Amino acid sequence: MVDSARHERESRAWPVLPSAGPRWRVLGAGFVLLLALLAASALVLGEYAQQILSQAFFFAIAAVTVDLLWGYTGILTFGQSAFFGVGVYTVAIALAYYVEGVLGTAIVMLAAMVAAALIGAAVGWLSFFDRASPIYVAIVTLALPVVVTQVILSGGAYTGSSSGLPIPAPAISIAQWYWISGALLLLVAMGGYVLVSSDAGRILVAIRENEERCRYLGLRTSRLKIRLMAACSAVAALAGSCYVLFGSVAAHSYGDFVFGTELVVWTALGGRGTLIGPILGTVGVNYVSAVLGGNLPFVWLLFVGFAFVLIVVYLPQGLVPAIGGVLSRATRAAASLVRGRGAVVAAERGRAAMPQVRAAASTRGAPQEDATTGVEQRTPVLELRDVSKRYGSLQVLDGVSFQARRGEVVGIVGPNGAGKTTLLRCIADGRERSGGDVLVNGRHIAGLPPQECVALGVSRKFQTPNVFDALSVLDCLRVARSYRASTSPWRRSYTVELPEPALHTVHVSGLLARLDEPAAHLSHGAKQALELAMVLALEPTVLLLDEPTAGLTREERAAIGSVLTELARSHRLCILLIEHDLDFVREISTRLVVLHMGKVLVDGPLAEVAESEVIRTIYVGGGTRT
Amino acid sequence: MIADARTALAVEGLEGGYGDSAVLHGVTLDVRPAEIFAILGKNGMGKTTLLKTMMGLLPARGGRVEVLGADVSRWAPYRITRLGVSYVPQEKSIFQDLSVEENLRLALREVSEFTDRLDAVAQWFPVLKSRHRQRAGTLSGGEQKMLLIGRALLTKPRLVLVDEISEGLQPAMVTRLREVLTQERRARGLAIVLVEQNVDFALALADRYAVLKVGAVVETGRTADAGARERIERHLVL
Repeated sequence: MVDSARHERESRAWPVLPSAGPRWRVLGAGFVLLLALLAASALVLGEYAQQILSQAFFFAIAAVTVDLLWGYTGILTFGQSAFFGVGVYTVAIALAYYVEGVLGTAIVMLAAMVAAALIGAAVGWLSFFDRASPIYVAIVTLALPVVVTQVILSGGAYTGSSSGLPIPAPAISIAQWYWISGALLLLVAMGGYVLVSSDAGRILVAIRENEERCRYLGLRTSRLKIRLMAACSAVAALAGSCYVLFGSVAAHSYGDFVFGTELVVWTALGGRGTLIGPILGTVGVNYVSAVLGGNLPFVWLLFVGFAFVLIVVYLPQGLVPAIGGVLSRATRAAASLVRGRGAVVAAERGRAAMPQVRAAASTRGAPQEDATTGVEQRTPVLELRDVSKRYGSLQVLDGVSFQARRGEVVGIVGPNGAGKTTLLRCIADGRERSGGDVLVNGRHIAGLPPQECVALGVSRKFQTPNVFDALSVLDCLRVARSYRASTSPWRRSYTVELPEPALHTVHVSGLLARLDEPAAHLSHGAKQALELAMVLALEPTVLLLDEPTAGLTREERAAIGSVLTELARSHRLCILLIEHDLDFVREISTRLVVLHMGKVLVDGPLAEVAESEVIRTIYVGGGTRT
Repeated sequence: MIADARTALAVEGLEGGYGDSAVLHGVTLDVRPAEIFAILGKNGMGKTTLLKTMMGLLPARGGRVEVLGADVSRWAPYRITRLGVSYVPQEKSIFQDLSVEENLRLALREVSEFTDRLDAVAQWFPVLKSRHRQRAGTLSGGEQKMLLIGRALLTKPRLVLVDEISEGLQPAMVTRLREVLTQERRARGLAIVLVEQNVDFALALADRYAVLKVGAVVETGRTADAGARERIERHLVL
């Protein structure tokens, strides 16, 4: 093991990589390539094809918003058609009755986007309250297009009802529309790419992977999702308002739930979570349908249906990820022919990753200074008064009261089912307990959700490791750190600054060499260490650890133990620790609380409790120590 | 080495991994009936991957796995299970929304035996009977572990593969578990493969061991041999 002082010096000396990384190159290359494709196709394609493709491009913009919501953030939405429809009808009604001219149209389009954003925010507010299951948003967004369609249909002549509302067509040729729609799609896709590859985009994926963990990392996930929903709604409305100018007639089918579902299907076919997939899916299906529909009426539907079934069965991830997988296997095979063994690649990767993590200057005042003052020693940082919790008829906690101070490591021991994890849950989430009070730093946590408890200085590590499987180790750490550091919706940081204890944990657990690996590939123990580092990145004052060393070897356990002791001693943290390994508890705790059937049985200094009869009879059992 | 009916489990040159990363590099080992075999090693050395590949939960990319005399290298997990194999994963894979009893019931194909088997299991873990109607997801972490183990043993398997079984259990329960497994082995000739971090637990229970390092077996031996612990721990430190 490398000694920590040297390690720290090294880590501070590591250079910070510039934040302009390969993604700007990807963006630039993609932009040039697609623009060239658009230009070339404009020369080759006839008017009919251009018309079909223009329509498909507008639809693809809506599909991109579906991908951002569903593919990246995990919000399954059938309602993007409704926002598209809001765009269609706002512009159509305005142009049919009230407004004319370029400026007027532009203002109306802007108004349509604002209206859609407001509706989107309202839908988000309805669907994303804490503890809402993901199915809520699917239902709400399924209902929304039905509402929009009903409003249109019952509008009589004013909205054109079922026969549609014609508007005066602007003097724009098909070729021009092809460029306008293509450029707009390109712009939206680029914007989407910037977002998903930014720091904020990483959080979106983290929300999809494990929203609960995000909340316990202090992230206000509901607010983020509402904002995303509003932005995506505005973009869909923009597509809709352009589309109606292009088609010069508004029809209710552009706002109905069939279209909303089609957007989801096209996204799924192309490959969700890829941005390019939904575009190709939408354009492909629309183009092929139009061409086949002309030549083979009726039979083409059979083709499309058949292709759809094949893709769902054999390529459940969609077309683009499947093609990507084949390509990456091919390049890997080629690379391994050139380089020989894969181990070399891994080693190089590890070395390249080294400068990515570095120590952060602590964002809070050095707590060591006030450590000597008597006041701090006397006032408890955590106080539980008569806390109880019941699940239905099962009383899990029954009048638990104790206090803990800074610098203490309180070991919570007790038989399985004594209520230990429930106790931690009641401290980290104000809505959990059924009765009693919990005070952190003298403040009642009352009914605060976990993300607000983090703000009070509480952070919790779960019993089973909770990390973001789809993200790399480094990205997991960055997401954890985003509570302390600002998150940009366009920039991407390639480094993460961690407070010393978190950095030390990353180091002793060997994660430093595996920063680029997806967290899903980590072993159970390595995930434990990663989650601990993530929790420490929050710089908490009260640290709740539920079997933090389960699955670690004795050496790793000792290393983590020394991190914890150090945290309590020099950073003056208050640590609550659930552990079954009594030797480990003895080594690092200063005090023991024995929980039995939801009650505090004993609470006292380590030396007294650890050797007491109580422990032996209820916990170790049979008078023997293991 | 070719397995016959006298071998509970034989693994030969097994290769496996996830996506891009190869984790197992030719693992070879064999376990006899009524034998308790411990697989030890540091974190990330491929112990869990080995169990999952043997159970057919991950595809074997090379080599073969034989269970109770049958070549199961390309079998789906449910077929392997029907040979009389139980797998206790490390993650608590229970049916959260079903009751404790429903979770147990699902393990048995022949439901008529359920009451007898439940009584047997409840002797070891009384909580499974006293809380039989409770939703399994509301059990504590340790109780869920007991449910997993209980469910695995309910089927009277001939071979069980257990991943980090002692983790998260109170010391008294760990002792109980050791007794249960020894008793099942003695009474029914159960073969047990343990993946363990807890060397004490493994040494107290197992007859033989293998140490896994970077996806390959680097050390095997009998736990009763002199110096076994030292040889094992040398690999755990480095």
